[in-house]
Amino acid sequence: MSLRGAAAIIGIAELPTQRATPGRSSLGLMGDAARIAVHDAHLRKEDIDGLITEGGTVYPGLVSEYLGLRPRFASGASMMGASGATATTLAAMAVQNGLANNVLVVIGSARNNAIPEAGAGPTGIATELDATVGTAAGAGTGYAMMYKKHMELYGTTQEQLAHVAANQRFNTLENPNSAFQGQPISVEDVMASRYVNYPLRLLECVMPCGGAAAIVVTSADRAKASHNKPVYILGSGVGTDPQTAWQRPVITETPVARSAPIAFEMSGYTPRDIQFAEFYDCYTILVSMCLEDSGLVQKGEIGPFFASTDTTYKGAFPINTDGGQLSSGQPNLAGGFRHVVEGARQIMGRAETRQVARNDLCLVNG
Amino acid sequence: MTSEYKKPLPRPTINPEVSQPFWEGTKKHELWLQYCLNHNGHFFYPREVCPVCLAPQERLVWQQVPAKGRVHSYTTVYQPALPAFAEEAPFIHALIELDAGARIVGNVVGLSREEVEGNALELNQPVEAVFEDVTDEWTLVKWQRVDG
Ligand SMILES: [Zn+2]
Repeated sequence: MSLRGAAAIIGIAELPTQRATPGRSSLGLMGDAARIAVHDAHLRKEDIDGLITEGGTVYPGLVSEYLGLRPRFASGASMMGASGATATTLAAMAVQNGLANNVLVVIGSARNNAIPEAGAGPTGIATELDATVGTAAGAGTGYAMMYKKHMELYGTTQEQLAHVAANQRFNTLENPNSAFQGQPISVEDVMASRYVNYPLRLLECVMPCGGAAAIVVTSADRAKASHNKPVYILGSGVGTDPQTAWQRPVITETPVARSAPIAFEMSGYTPRDIQFAEFYDCYTILVSMCLEDSGLVQKGEIGPFFASTDTTYKGAFPINTDGGQLSSGQPNLAGGFRHVVEGARQIMGRAETRQVARNDLCLVNG
Repeated sequence: MTSEYKKPLPRPTINPEVSQPFWEGTKKHELWLQYCLNHNGHFFYPREVCPVCLAPQERLVWQQVPAKGRVHSYTTVYQPALPAFAEEAPFIHALIELDAGARIVGNVVGLSREEVEGNALELNQPVEAVFEDVTDEWTLVKWQRVDG
């Protein structure tokens, strides 16, 4: 038995990604996203009998309490940025195995001025050293060192990766949920932006934001009667790596090298079959390495790929069609979830002005 | 020098005893790493269990190792995450592959501003430790270039 086709996404919700969410709590944002997703699925709140949240910062029990839910299956999926995609996988497993019929996945993070930025203080033994050398969790130094190593090993250039940011910004220009709607940037603009951590420039880094998203996952049988075009989950793999970037044995490799082959094998498809991709993108280098490790692009070839391929929603191979996190803002823990939601939105054919032409098969990396 | 150091000091938050020998070593201007008697190798950072073979604490010993290595990769920090480092930027934050076979992060010092901004530091550059007594209690380890 595999997950192939056992479950489908039948409702989606995404709140606008915003630089700040004054007066709003994470629970409140999750409530709004939950309401919209359940409504979008043409279900009633009472139909929701499963709940998956990020769980590590706000426990599922509190989300359930705040929303007045009484799930018979509930869990957290505390995988930082990958929480949304992991939760989607867990939701499919839950409905496939009869633990629930309709699972609500909801993740949201408020961002108010009172909330300290990442890196406010040491949290573990690795950071005991990190703090003394001038870095902190979420600072981007780890990704910058990966970037430098990738340049050295494969000849990747900063100009090649500047296309990632420029193309994604094009994709977000008409996205009403984006913090950068209507603000185009060029490859030259990226190259002219200041360094945060060489080789990473400002426009290659995400902007921390607040926001929330939600989906409803149901069984394949129930999905047949869905109001929306069902978005079937055909395969999934969930990997992880040392949280501290410099603890990774190979710093130019991501856990996608282990999770993608499982997803492909389960699905029966190969990277060549994929029509568009929604990939986690906190930094240009990270989305680049993940695309390589997924098999969509050969290892070490991502630089030439971006320099020669139109990856906008109009292009030969669309990537991060809503602008991704780089060009829409990173709503904290819901950041990686946006890729699931946009993939589903495109397959449902509801992406409006940024709708991709071929929308049957998407590879999502949360 | 002692009371004026304004930047973060190592403050163990999980189990201070685990990494104490490392900091006792730096205080003597020596580099000490944990060594696993089960799989016969060094590792870093300090742990209560071996991250290679899961050997228990009883099988882990501390050894002094040569304070030498090579630059595995690095970044030049222009916008430090910690405000205390603002005046120092740009500075180099590197991943050092120790000759003893473990990796450690640290600042590479001794480059001119022009060299720092010109990305003159090359990967695989041999480096050696420089120990900086920042307070009476704490000594930090930094790295400087040496001829290969
Ligand atoms: Zn061992």
